Amino acid sequence: MLFNSFPFIYVFLPVVAIGYFALPNHRLRLLFIVGASYYFYAYAEWWFPALMAGSTAISFTGGLLLESERTARHRKLVLGAGIFGMLALLAYFKYAGFAGGYTLDFVHVLTGRGFPSAHTFVHSIVLPIGISFYTFEGISYMVDVYRGGLRAEHDLLRYAFFISFFPHLIAGPIVRYGILQPQLMTKHRFDADRVRSGLLLFTLGLGKKVLLADGLARWVDHYLSTPGSLGLFEAWASAIGFGFQIYFDFSAYSDMALGLARIFGIELPWNFDRPYTSFSPTEFWRRWHVTLSTWLRDYLYIPLGGNRKGGRRRDANLLVTMGLGGLWHGASLNFVVWGLYQGLLLVGTHHGSRRGWRLPHLAGVVVTFVLVVLGWVLFRMHTADTIGSLYAGMFGLHGTGGVPGHLVLYLVISGFVVWCLPETWRWRVGTWGPMRLVAAATLLAVATASVYTSHPFIYFRF
Amino acid sequence: MRRLILFLAVTAALLAAGAAFDWRVDPFGDIYKPGALSAALSSHPNCLVSQELVGARYFAYKLDVFHRRPTRTFVIGSSRVLEIRAHPGEKDFANLGFPGSSPETILSMFRALPARPAQTAYIGVESFWFNPSFVVPVYRPSRFQLAKYLLSWATFHGGYNIVRQAHYILFDRWRREQVGKSCVIGRIYPSIAWNVDGSRTWSWELDPQRFPRFHAPPFTTDLNRLRNGFYANWTSFDTRRVKILEQALALARARGWHVVGFAPPEPPRYLHLLDTDPRIAPQWHEYLRLMPKIFHRYGFRWVGLEDSRSVPCTASEFPDAFHTDAVCSARIRARLDAAAQ
Repeated sequence: MLFNSFPFIYVFLPVVAIGYFALPNHRLRLLFIVGASYYFYAYAEWWFPALMAGSTAISFTGGLLLESERTARHRKLVLGAGIFGMLALLAYFKYAGFAGGYTLDFVHVLTGRGFPSAHTFVHSIVLPIGISFYTFEGISYMVDVYRGGLRAEHDLLRYAFFISFFPHLIAGPIVRYGILQPQLMTKHRFDADRVRSGLLLFTLGLGKKVLLADGLARWVDHYLSTPGSLGLFEAWASAIGFGFQIYFDFSAYSDMALGLARIFGIELPWNFDRPYTSFSPTEFWRRWHVTLSTWLRDYLYIPLGGNRKGGRRRDANLLVTMGLGGLWHGASLNFVVWGLYQGLLLVGTHHGSRRGWRLPHLAGVVVTFVLVVLGWVLFRMHTADTIGSLYAGMFGLHGTGGVPGHLVLYLVISGFVVWCLPETWRWRVGTWGPMRLVAAATLLAVATASVYTSHPFIYFRF
Repeated sequence: MRRLILFLAVTAALLAAGAAFDWRVDPFGDIYKPGALSAALSSHPNCLVSQELVGARYFAYKLDVFHRRPTRTFVIGSSRVLEIRAHPGEKDFANLGFPGSSPETILSMFRALPARPAQTAYIGVESFWFNPSFVVPVYRPSRFQLAKYLLSWATFHGGYNIVRQAHYILFDRWRREQVGKSCVIGRIYPSIAWNVDGSRTWSWELDPQRFPRFHAPPFTTDLNRLRNGFYANWTSFDTRRVKILEQALALARARGWHVVGFAPPEPPRYLHLLDTDPRIAPQWHEYLRLMPKIFHRYGFRWVGLEDSRSVPCTASEFPDAFHTDAVCSARIRARLDAAAQ
């Protein structure tokens, strides 16, 4: 079920919110939300909840075993087995098609045999939405218990709530149990101010999605469908447009998730903080998809040695971390290349700052933005041909072309929102007076009326 | 709490206002408007109802037509039966066919009609109904679908565009217009219109000066383009729809109705294609073999009119090489009346 859909806005959300606050008992409320979240997940495919239940069972049991085991060797073994189990599910459903497809192509080149039934099988594997997110959440929980930073959860209901809570289930933010657990210990009273604040944040996210992200998508998709015909202006406008689109799309989802959780009394971590105002790639990753970048830092980069084992090892760790981060986004080579490109930017930034290179702030922001936009080409275009065509257009090899008027108008509006307004979750919506509330209500009415033509969120496919 | 209520109340009020506007203007014809038929019936002589006002709500319109007449005989089927009309002065005949009909819609219509008085039903059975790839459009939208329609920005935008062209729609949802020699209850562009007996009148039949007669599309053997792709991907005979048709016949028999089934006529060139093209001929022959058997099994007659020369109708009486015109349809009606005797 999409947040930007009629059944969610008009049926699921009101029913779940009213049902939640109508229940007198805290545990009943948790149970109700878990049931509703499983229903929310089953709306996409009836068998998805079974997968989530399996993943929940692995990490929950892993946490209990990690707590009960005393010897370091056994604890390592349990952690390894738990992570292997979680990653095995992810690997099968997300990467089997990718790896199997390439392997079969390779075998075909070597032997001349096509294995059509094997091809059919690997391409028939359906990617369960949200699996990348709840797998990472389960892994972070087990690692935190292993490291001793978190006590294992003995209450399956609370743990199931953590994994399945529908606002963050499909596309994050990637929540750590240490943040959620304290909020699940006591019953949340109905607080009109908090509910209003949550609804307003949801409204801003929905507005951002249907008015900005979807508006941009119409033009960006139109131009990028024929990258070989784009002149200089069109190519840059499309690439920048996609940069804005993916930011509005994903940050809108995060705003909606934060707002929805707040309605139920839960505060989720924020994910974006004006990333396009960053003056270096390092800062960009402190502001973009923060719950993923901190996850990669804490559970991959630091265990690999981080920057503690010399410069060369740090560079290699950055490349491995970002390459795997790219692969996390999708089972496709272009995502790996995008991740490695981001890794190279981070390595370059480190080396530059060690040599004392420093750009003026505004120049740093512009250069970082351009480098990020160049990277989005790798993310958006899926084949070497289309990537090459778009870069050729951006470097003027197809001529200057015309100025895409409608898209430029969207870019101007988007640029104003990106560079001149604070990040949505920082808006102090709780203090809004009647006039702003009426304006927000108008936005909600317009945005809900527009959901039928709305595109799915980009990050749903990850 | 007061601010939360204010926020929710303003949102609800705006959505309700938008929905009320969409219901009033109904730009895509998803809301049935019985008042339009009343207005057509209250005129002397009766007016026609413009397609703009019927929109996609054919089922509701035809049911309404049935109930407003002392109907004893009706024809039902796809858009190809729509020119079969009541004779001048005949009050008890109704045309209940509509575009996108299928065994499902026929069974639904039979269930919606009263069992008494007993009816004589002429069912035009299309061969392509038994193509599993043939998709039946939504003919009875659910309340959920209607709510989506009323709360959609696209509907509001469409309504706004209509009101810009015709402000009066905000106050009067339709008006009486003269199109050629007929009066039509219409809106901004009455062209195709429905008679009060449920039959259809093409725009060029209403006003040949204003609307050009249709031209048949070039003949093609591309099944994806031939007749909206109704015969495309027809690899098996849909037994599920056969069973649904049988359910409708069983219901008619239980009610003591008199039924005549018929194959709508085909222009010679298309009949030859159906008969000989190896991609569809087996299913076509199965249709010709099975339909008489099924109708006879329930004690009803079957009239095979698939060869237009047997009606008789000429190729020129198929304006778009698919639908019959009023003259040919009158001959079909005569054949059906004779079979019903």
